[in-house]
Amino acid sequence: MTLEVKELTGGYGQVSVLKKETFNVESGQVVGLIGLNGAGKSTTIKHIIGLLTPRGGQILIDGISLHDDVEKYRKKIAYVPEMPILYPELTLREHIDLTIMAYGLDHDKTWVNATELLKTFRLDNKLDWFPQNFSKGMKQKVMIVCAFMTDASLFIIDEPFTGLDPLAVNDLLNIVEAKKKAGCSVLMSTHILATVQNHADKFVLINHGQVRADGTLDQLKAKFNMQQDSNLDDIYIKMSHEDL
Amino acid sequence: MTNLWQERLRRHQLDQFKYLRLIFNDNFVLAFIVLIGALGFWYSNLLGTIHHQLIIGKPIVILLLFLATQVGGIATLLEEPDSTFLLVKEKEFYKYFKAAKNYSVFIPIVTLALVNFLLSAFASRAAGMKIIDIVLIAIGLIVFKLGSLNVNLMALYGQDHFGSLNMHLVSNILLVISLIISTYFLSAIMVIVGVIYYLFLNMRVKPLETSGQLQWKYAIETENQRMFRIKRFYNLFTDVPGVNSKIKRRKWLDGLFNFIKPKGSNTYLYLFARGFVRNNEYIGLFLRLTIIQAIMLCLIDNFYISLIVEMLFIYLVGFQLKPYFKEVMQNLMQRLYPVSSKDKIASFTKLSTIILSIQWIVSALAIIYKFGLSMNGLIIIVAGALVLVFVNYFYMPRQLKKYLN
Repeated sequence: MTLEVKELTGGYGQVSVLKKETFNVESGQVVGLIGLNGAGKSTTIKHIIGLLTPRGGQILIDGISLHDDVEKYRKKIAYVPEMPILYPELTLREHIDLTIMAYGLDHDKTWVNATELLKTFRLDNKLDWFPQNFSKGMKQKVMIVCAFMTDASLFIIDEPFTGLDPLAVNDLLNIVEAKKKAGCSVLMSTHILATVQNHADKFVLINHGQVRADGTLDQLKAKFNMQQDSNLDDIYIKMSHEDL
Repeated sequence: MTNLWQERLRRHQLDQFKYLRLIFNDNFVLAFIVLIGALGFWYSNLLGTIHHQLIIGKPIVILLLFLATQVGGIATLLEEPDSTFLLVKEKEFYKYFKAAKNYSVFIPIVTLALVNFLLSAFASRAAGMKIIDIVLIAIGLIVFKLGSLNVNLMALYGQDHFGSLNMHLVSNILLVISLIISTYFLSAIMVIVGVIYYLFLNMRVKPLETSGQLQWKYAIETENQRMFRIKRFYNLFTDVPGVNSKIKRRKWLDGLFNFIKPKGSNTYLYLFARGFVRNNEYIGLFLRLTIIQAIMLCLIDNFYISLIVEMLFIYLVGFQLKPYFKEVMQNLMQRLYPVSSKDKIASFTKLSTIILSIQWIVSALAIIYKFGLSMNGLIIIVAGALVLVFVNYFYMPRQLKKYLN
C-alpha cells in the first residue's frame, strides 16, 4: 500500500489552508503528521479520507484516486477521528455489525478480530450498551476497535492519544505495530511527540499548510542543523520559532 | 442581570420569530387551517346535539380546565455554559428569574382565557353553568396559575416542597378540590383560593433572594427540555437544527430487525430501522399522527374532510421522516463507507414505505369502521394509497438527494 499526496492544495470554502503539500507513506510505514494547532494536519487528513475535495494536486492510494473508484478507494482506508463520532441509536455490537456490512467484511472472521480488540480495551462486557453514553476515552476506544478490525491497508488516526489512559495508549501502539508488521501503513497526527518519536518511522512536519520537512528523525536533524542528541521536541520548537 | 435577561429575551424572540415565519410560509399550514375549521365544525355539531344538561358535563369541564392550568411554566432561557461562566453571579440570578417569571405569565393567561372562552359554550349547555360562574372561575384560575409560577421558581432552588410534600402535587390537589367546589357549588371559591394561594406563594418565594441555592443542573435541564418541546413543535413544520431527542433501547422490539438480512446493500436499512424504532422523536411522531388520524377518521362522517385527513396525514408522516435521513447524513463516519448514495436513498425509502404502509392499514381500518365497505370509503382508502406511492416513489427520492453530502 502506498499513499501519495502530490501538490495538494485545498481547504474549506474559498480559503486555501493547504498549499502544495507533497509527501508519501510507503508500505509498512508508520508516519507521524506533526504541526501546531491550526497548521493543517486535520485538513490534510480530511482530504485524504475524501471529506474535502482538493482544489489542486492529487491524492493516490495504490495509484487510484477517490475520483477513479470511490468504493475501492474507501475500502482501503480506516479512519479514527479526533473526536469520536458514533450513532446515538446503535449499541456497541451494532456499531461493529454495521461496519462489517458497510465494508463488506467477512462476518465471523471480523468478529474474531473485533473480540480480541474489545478484550484488549476492556469493552467486551459492554456490547449491548450505547457507546454514545460512554466517557470520551471509551468512545475513542470504540472508534479504534471499529477501525482496526477492518482489513484496510491504510490506517489514519487523528490525535489518537488524547483521552486514552496510559494502558490504552500502550495497547494502541502495540496494535499499530502489529498492523505495520502485516504490511499496512499508518498515518497519525499527534502532539504527543515523545510517543510518536519512538514509534514512527518517518515524520511529516507541517507549518502554515505546507510541508516544512519530512523524513526520519536523523534526516530532520540534518535539515534543521540540530545536534545529534536533540529530539523531536527540539526540532518542533525550532520550526515554530522560524516564523518569528 | 436584568440586562442579561433582556438580551436573552431579545435573541429568543428573534429566534421564535424566525421559526414562526418559516412555519407560516409552508404549504400545508393552509391544510392545518382546514383541520382547525373541521374541528370547529365538529365542535359546533356536537353542541347542536346537546339539548339538556349532561351528568358528565361538569367533570369534563373540570378535567379540561385542570389540564389547561398545567400549560406554561417559567421560561428561564438558561444556557449550558451559564453553570460555568456565570457561577460567580449566582446570588444575582434571583433578579434574572424574577424578570423571567414576569415574562412567562403571558402564555398561561392567554391559554386559560382562550380555553375558558371556547369551553363556555359547552359549559353553559352541557354543564348548565352561568356566564358569571365561568368568568369567575377563569379569573380564579388565572390568579392561581400566576401563584403556581412561584412553585416553578422555587424548584430552580430545590425548594419546591412543604416539608416532605411535593409542592406541585399539593398545588394540583388543591386545584382539583377548588375546581370541584366552584363548579358544583360556589364559583367565587376559585377566586378566593386563587388569591390566597397567590399571596402565600409570593411570600414563600421572597427568602430565596438571600438564602437560595440555585440548582444549576436541574434548572438547565428543565430549560433544555422546554426548549426541546418548542423546537420539536416547530420541527413538525420546518427543519430545526439541534433537535436531539431521547434514545431508548427498546430491546423487546429487536425481533423486528430480524427481517433485515445482514448484507452490504442493507447497511443503511439496518441503521435507519433501529434509529426509527429507538429514537423517541420519530417513532413518537409516527404513533401520534397515526393515532390522531385514526381517531379523527372514526369520528368524522363527512366524506371530504375524511378524504383530506387521510391524504394529509400520510403525507405529513412521510414529510416528517425526512429530517431523520438528514440527521444520519450529517454523521461523518458514514460518509466514509464504501456504500453508494443510491443505496442510502433506496434503504430510506424502503423504511418509509413500511412505515407509511402500516399507517395506511390502520387508517383504512378506521375508514371501514366509519363508512363501511361503501364506495366513499373505498375512494378514501385508494386516495391514501396514492399519496403513499407518491411520497415514496416521487417525493422522497428527490427530496433526499438534497441531503447527500
